[in-house]
Amino acid sequence: MITTLKFYISQMQFLFDNKVVYTEHNSYHLIDASAPETMLLSQFSDKAIHYNAIQFQLGIDSLTNVAGAMGGDLDPTKGMYWTWQSGYINFKLEGTSTNCPARNHEFQFHLGGYQAPFNALQTIILKTTTKQTIKIYFDIEKYIKGLDLAKHFSVMSPNQEAVSFSKKIAESFYTE
Amino acid sequence: MKKVVLVLFCLIFTAFVANNKLFSVPDNWPQPVYNFSNNPLSENKILLGRMLFYDPILSRNNIISCASCHSPFSAFTHIDHALSHGINDSIGTRNSPALMNLAWQKSFMWDGAINNLDMQALAPITHTAEMGSSINAVVDKLNASAMYHELFFKAFGDSVATGEKTLKAISQFMITLISSNSKYDKVIRKEVAFTEQEASGYKLFQKNCSSCHNEPLFTTTDFANNGLAVDTTLNDIGRMKITLNPNDSLKFKIPTLRNIEYSYPYMHDGRFKRLSEVVNHYTSGITVTPTLAKELQHPIILTASEKVDVVAFLLTLTDQSFVFNPKFQYPKEVFFGKGER
Repeated sequence: MITTLKFYISQMQFLFDNKVVYTEHNSYHLIDASAPETMLLSQFSDKAIHYNAIQFQLGIDSLTNVAGAMGGDLDPTKGMYWTWQSGYINFKLEGTSTNCPARNHEFQFHLGGYQAPFNALQTIILKTTTKQTIKIYFDIEKYIKGLDLAKHFSVMSPNQEAVSFSKKIAESFYTE
Repeated sequence: MKKVVLVLFCLIFTAFVANNKLFSVPDNWPQPVYNFSNNPLSENKILLGRMLFYDPILSRNNIISCASCHSPFSAFTHIDHALSHGINDSIGTRNSPALMNLAWQKSFMWDGAINNLDMQALAPITHTAEMGSSINAVVDKLNASAMYHELFFKAFGDSVATGEKTLKAISQFMITLISSNSKYDKVIRKEVAFTEQEASGYKLFQKNCSSCHNEPLFTTTDFANNGLAVDTTLNDIGRMKITLNPNDSLKFKIPTLRNIEYSYPYMHDGRFKRLSEVVNHYTSGITVTPTLAKELQHPIILTASEKVDVVAFLLTLTDQSFVFNPKFQYPKEVFFGKGER
């Protein structure tokens, strides 16, 4: 059972044949599975654009990570900022599974880290066509099925595991 | 048309004067690293930050404030406590550092865990052995307080507290804590002269200590292993806890030596109570481990009287005008002038 699923989408861009045709300014979005209104991101362009791919980052870039206190979706009250060590949590997944040997069978993945060699930020490019609404899917089942919760059930700081899990999560996004 | 130009000129002039008054870089100091453009100083924001710094509302049980472990009279640290002392008499794992000249610091905490002054307060607010609260709980309490509605409105033009505004206000107060008026500073400015003993200590200091505790901040703000034997009750690996890099094992933030007379006990675990113990550590107490600072690979040799001279010099870093600056003290006129929260 999943109890929490929250992650940041940032630096959203539309591409046409690998050329950037649209860049969202101040592009930081906290997607929270328990708040459906966070899952609809509106983009506005004052000229007609044609694109065949959408690009975004899963997480928060390093410059923003060192820039001090921010507001809106980046406010530390959103629960996506580590307090004992500076840095945004790019992706948060919590829940329970009978496979998980931890206390109350709880698993917790707080994935982040902006400094080499543990930079967890992922760039995702998805092919699409020019249209009014692009539906982007995140296949959480695919990700969780690929996990061995008996062995890996807790990541709470920037490290190698956080980077490799972040890569797998980035592969679980697709468009229809 | 002429009139418009004149008005504009006046505004720029006022802004310049106001800014100068709130923060100025002492002569011959480097430029600060804090990014003021993200958080422009104002008198009302500094006052809000000062209120928050002294208000135990930041802790879960409304008893512990920032000032509990960072008192002005001890150069904003907690004297007589080797390890920091928090909520419900909890004892932490490190010695609370003295706070001053923070706009020049690249990172915070003994291990550099915090990358920006704005984010520093999150750590003690949350830590179960410090304030045991959360930024969300703090913001909720502030938003329920009529006094803070007014203070936030005056500071930000909006009475609603957020995490961002709360943290930025605390930063503003901390940035104003500049210590640059010790006897040492007055000697550098040629206003007074060292005694013979202090002058001898200064020379010995420059020869033996200043590559890590460099002037004028008396720290490079980097990390170093200064040869302390590991306290096996703590097993603190220092900077390596953050970077996971074995080359950073046992390295800790090089602290400033300014106001060291006030900020005892010394070292990340508060193991030394007296400055003489600190000096003796460097002459005869170094434990050699693979990450030991290169400056300490060869022993520092000082005679008994030279050690006394070094301590005499260190005492010239005491800045009474900093410790007793009325602008840095508990803002009782605001707490008690406003009635109920």
